[in-house]
Amino acid sequence: MSLRFHWMLPKGGEVSMKTAQETSRVLTTKSTSKASLPDMDGWVKFSRCAEEAGIESVLMSFSRYEPDTLVIAAALGQATKKLKFIVAYRTGFMQPATFVQQVNTLSGLIDGRVALNIVAGSSAAEQRGYGDFLDHDERYARADEFLEICHAFWQRNGEVVFKGDYFQVESGQISTPFTAPDRNLPEIYVSGHSAQAERLAQRQGSAWLRLIDTPENLAALVERNREHGIEMCLRLCVICRPTREEALEAARALLPDDDTEKQERRILNSSESQTLKQALAKADEVGWMNENLWAGLVPFYGSSAITLVGTPQELADAFLAYKSIGISQFIISGWPKLEEMVIFGREVIPLVREAEREVSVVLGHSRCDE
Amino acid sequence: MNLRFHWMLPKGGEVSLNGPQTPREASHYRLASTREGSPAPVPDIPGWTHFGKQAEEAGIESLLVSFSKYEPDPILVSAALGQTTTKLKFIAAYRSGLMKPTTFVQQINTVSAFMPGRLALNIVAGSSTAEQKGYGDYLAHDERYARAEEFLEVCHSFWRDADDVNFDGKYYRVDRGKLHTPLFADERRTPEIYISGHSAQAEQLAVTKGTCLLRVADTVETLKPAIARVRERGIEVCLRMCVICRSTRSEAIAAAESLLPRDDMGQYERSVAVKNDSQMYREASEVGDNWLSPLLWKGFVRYYGPVWTTLVGSFDDVAGALLEYKQIGVTQFIMSGWPELDEVKLFGSEVVPRVRRTEARV
Repeated sequence: MSLRFHWMLPKGGEVSMKTAQETSRVLTTKSTSKASLPDMDGWVKFSRCAEEAGIESVLMSFSRYEPDTLVIAAALGQATKKLKFIVAYRTGFMQPATFVQQVNTLSGLIDGRVALNIVAGSSAAEQRGYGDFLDHDERYARADEFLEICHAFWQRNGEVVFKGDYFQVESGQISTPFTAPDRNLPEIYVSGHSAQAERLAQRQGSAWLRLIDTPENLAALVERNREHGIEMCLRLCVICRPTREEALEAARALLPDDDTEKQERRILNSSESQTLKQALAKADEVGWMNENLWAGLVPFYGSSAITLVGTPQELADAFLAYKSIGISQFIISGWPKLEEMVIFGREVIPLVREAEREVSVVLGHSRCDE
Repeated sequence: MNLRFHWMLPKGGEVSLNGPQTPREASHYRLASTREGSPAPVPDIPGWTHFGKQAEEAGIESLLVSFSKYEPDPILVSAALGQTTTKLKFIAAYRSGLMKPTTFVQQINTVSAFMPGRLALNIVAGSSTAEQKGYGDYLAHDERYARAEEFLEVCHSFWRDADDVNFDGKYYRVDRGKLHTPLFADERRTPEIYISGHSAQAEQLAVTKGTCLLRVADTVETLKPAIARVRERGIEVCLRMCVICRSTRSEAIAAAESLLPRDDMGQYERSVAVKNDSQMYREASEVGDNWLSPLLWKGFVRYYGPVWTTLVGSFDDVAGALLEYKQIGVTQFIMSGWPELDEVKLFGSEVVPRVRRTEARV
């Protein structure tokens, strides 16, 4: 199967921003940030470029600083034809029946082009603002029940009955079905680095979404999860330039000033997320994780900023190396948000596809020869 | 102020894009919407958009998008239809208690950003106990109202206050709540909030947390004291009714009678049994004379339910009746008819201009 490439939907206003520094978390979490506003003009432009670049889906992130992801997908889905939407949502903010009703409605509105990125929670402070007072481990236990109920609704096998620690449902029925050309429930990406996240992905998800690391570090856990029958999807950033020197120069140009660095660290340190803690440790202890994988941007742009830096051929080779250990999907971003995706679609994806074709031709021959 | 006319969003599949339907054919979609095989659960953007454009032309201000387990989610339907229409507003019905107020406000504010000033809410405390349990809600009728009160208190606090939201209630607790996406509501700071229900709790909730009490139509005499009471406390009153208007009263009555059931008695008895704790349904099941007044007919009610209370008459009759309601303080109406498309066009071309002419004179 060909590798599947997804991209992060830029936050409101970011499509027209020219420098990466403008997109730092310090700025996007300010109440005056354009990140709080839907940006239809920017997003429609971005989505059409994504479709052209060969990107399958865009991931919409969920936070109190941004508009609601389900609603944005409904609106943006009207303005696009092929692009899918991976909607991030935190369990625990609504009843599972209500969530299924919304997700199924969305599928009917946009021809089934919807997948879910289920997140158990965020920082304790942000969760309390949503009325959620559970701790990290309990949030995962709740997420498991939540998805269990969602699956029961998606199976459409009679009325849903459930009695758990966090949810209870009696004679549950949602008439609106999940509709898509080839599925009767959405793909579910479960993200997080903790053992609970991994178990949740295996039990209730279709893919485990985690930060990129070196192929060597990932090989064992990829194998473990493939054995459980789920896919692996990596979150990363890319900087792709014609030469390695240009790529490194572009990477260095993304570093912010000292003051921003201090503020970013304060935000990052307040999180309970295992994902963030691990990423930050990588940045501080290692920096370059191998010749192309750089953690240096994490302190400024968050845990998802571990970046593959290099030429088109280096990047294509790196993706194929991940493919060879069993990784099938990627969710990518870059700076500037739009231009880097266009470069990726033009320079890297064709090289990957070419190599994938060659492999399948070789495999085809070997079968014929036997 | 001029009377404000809204309409029910037709059920999925109800609006015919290929040729006319009889009222009876059209009414089937609403009646069968809870049955297996009905198209009602599936979003119908082409049909709804066509209807929405006709409604805009007819002078209809908003469409009410109803909430039930048999239909698509009203918040997302409103978001989608807001993109395919330009002026029309949407009153999204939602039951409090199915999501956290913070999440609800985030969704509502996001929808409003796509259609500034065009989103209102119809907050419903709950439905039948059985349907609520299917959503994971096990509270009894009165407690659902207490929870709805807290729910809207938290929502208002997000809409009104610049500071972090703190709330510590019986049903909800929020600690330093903050949402960056604001409500887009033109000159308003909160959306219009219609509270529906016939119980004392519903009226109390409307007065304390809403902008308008929404209830099923009754005669002017019956409604008068309740409306005066609610208006004195500063909120509007909106009546939900069906309308069948024709050139002559006898044509209208013939159209109404064509909708009566032939072989499907018992439909309403079933729905009463299901909605056993709704005050509105209890009142409606008390069978009496079908004509509540010379124009207000409840011939459908015992079969189809209370929202089928219908104003039946000539264009002049119907315009006159609406103006009588205006005199006692009613300011808004949410209508439906069969077929919805034909009835909204007739209403817009014949009744609305008659009402506006009288209003201009007064």
